[in-house]
Amino acid sequence: MIPKIRLQGISKRFVVGSRAAPALEDVNLSLNSGDFVTLVGPSGCGKSTLFNILAGLIAPDPGGELYIDGKLEPADHLLGRVAFMPQRDMLMPWRTVLDNAILAAEIDGVPRAVARERARASLDRFGLRGFEGYHPGQLSGGMRQRVALMRTFLFDRDIMLLDEPFGALDALTRAMMQRWLLEVWEGAKRTVLFITHDIDEAIFLGDRVQVMSARPGHIKTELAVPLPRPRSPDVITSSPFVELKRTLLAAVEDESRKAFAAMNQHVLPDPGEA
Amino acid sequence: MATTPPATGAVPGAAPSTGWNAATLLVALGAVMLTWELAVRLLGVSPDKLPAPSAVLATIWTGRVALAGAVGTTLYEAVLGLLAGITFGTLSGIAFSRFRLLERMVLPYFVASQAVPIIAFGAIIIMWFGNGVASKAMIAFYLSFFPVAVNTLGGIRRVSEEEIGLLRTFGAGTLTLLWKLQLPTALPSIFTAIRLGAGLALVGAIVGEWFGSSRGLGVVLLTAMFDNQVEQLWAGILLTGLTGTALFALVVFLQKKIAWWHAEV
Repeated sequence: MIPKIRLQGISKRFVVGSRAAPALEDVNLSLNSGDFVTLVGPSGCGKSTLFNILAGLIAPDPGGELYIDGKLEPADHLLGRVAFMPQRDMLMPWRTVLDNAILAAEIDGVPRAVARERARASLDRFGLRGFEGYHPGQLSGGMRQRVALMRTFLFDRDIMLLDEPFGALDALTRAMMQRWLLEVWEGAKRTVLFITHDIDEAIFLGDRVQVMSARPGHIKTELAVPLPRPRSPDVITSSPFVELKRTLLAAVEDESRKAFAAMNQHVLPDPGEA
Repeated sequence: MATTPPATGAVPGAAPSTGWNAATLLVALGAVMLTWELAVRLLGVSPDKLPAPSAVLATIWTGRVALAGAVGTTLYEAVLGLLAGITFGTLSGIAFSRFRLLERMVLPYFVASQAVPIIAFGAIIIMWFGNGVASKAMIAFYLSFFPVAVNTLGGIRRVSEEEIGLLRTFGAGTLTLLWKLQLPTALPSIFTAIRLGAGLALVGAIVGEWFGSSRGLGVVLLTAMFDNQVEQLWAGILLTGLTGTALFALVVFLQKKIAWWHAEV
């Protein structure tokens, strides 16, 4: 089976003044069509850089290769090819829920009336029926996130990149949103790459979990999640889940420690100078 | 996830009720007028210093046709200049946001131009543009374009790289970004500048009339001053104040209709 998207040896270093700061180093990753892959890693490990590359917003360093449906693609060809949802919902306060949801499709060239019609048809699926005329300022955090997700889904692309979409939500809303996302995904069958800080979330949602290393980021471990779908909320207390979590925690802890140590090196004064 | 929409569709943060506000303001105005009237009558203030409001209102009523014409002329000049100022200000703000070099080259001169009091070259403008509507509109324009240009630039700059990036992943080009993201983001700040510009445009029109005109509120004020008609002078002051307030209120009304949302933090 040809993977939907495959990264081979992707690296990225940013040049700050005279210093080169490596953000990603030799990232290899492949997603099959319809996969839900989650990505966990310590803060500042370059996850967002990876997403920006996949979204076509920044170019990786020369040498890496990027394939879509088995075809080698220059990085700037990715712009407009994947549906990207950033951490902040970035809803436009002047647009209604409905018009925020159609923004991506509208920019993509779908006539407004057609896009609105399609959006109206999926209001129920996104739990927004009755709110289509509201403005973002009138919505709760969970609802705003659903509008942003709806915008991402209505931008009809096979590949979806979700960057910690539930990061800012409270635990109860987040759990509800996770189950709801799985339902929507199972109905739409898109290829999803989902960034999160939360290991439970990574296991609960993913077919596979990728653990990224501390900066410069690369894929350190990959773990398949053989839990059957659809997954019920109580799966998180089952022993296979707990077993997976133990393995992942160990891997992530290790990297978090490294990231923390690297951070302290920059922050703490040199003891010799004291 | 079944959630029921709340009953009202009111925009949060909107003023609770404008009717009540208007009533409060009218009561306050009435109180001031009444105090003024009583003070003038009871203290026996000479009408040469301060006429009673009843006398001023009577003067306005008597000269209503001419005064209404004066208000119309001045308002027309101010609005014409203001519209030109909004157009030019917005376009230059957009141009500055697109081309940093242009901003560095031209914006300092915009700033310098505002440091020169308009009085300094009022006469030149009359010589160039005649003593009709054009010269006054020109001065109104000159005073009002600057805040609009600065706030358009500032508003566009408030758009984050992330927001631009997101729209680019949807396939947005320069024009789409401007039209669907940058200008709407800047719109509340543009309106703030227009509020300021409206007052300045009115001042500009009146100052222009002082330099050379046969019509308008500026002429009413100037003639009354030279002829020592104190009641007429106060009538001019009152009408100028009302015209300014009305223009300001119109801009606020439009802002609430068009750019009602609050800037996102």
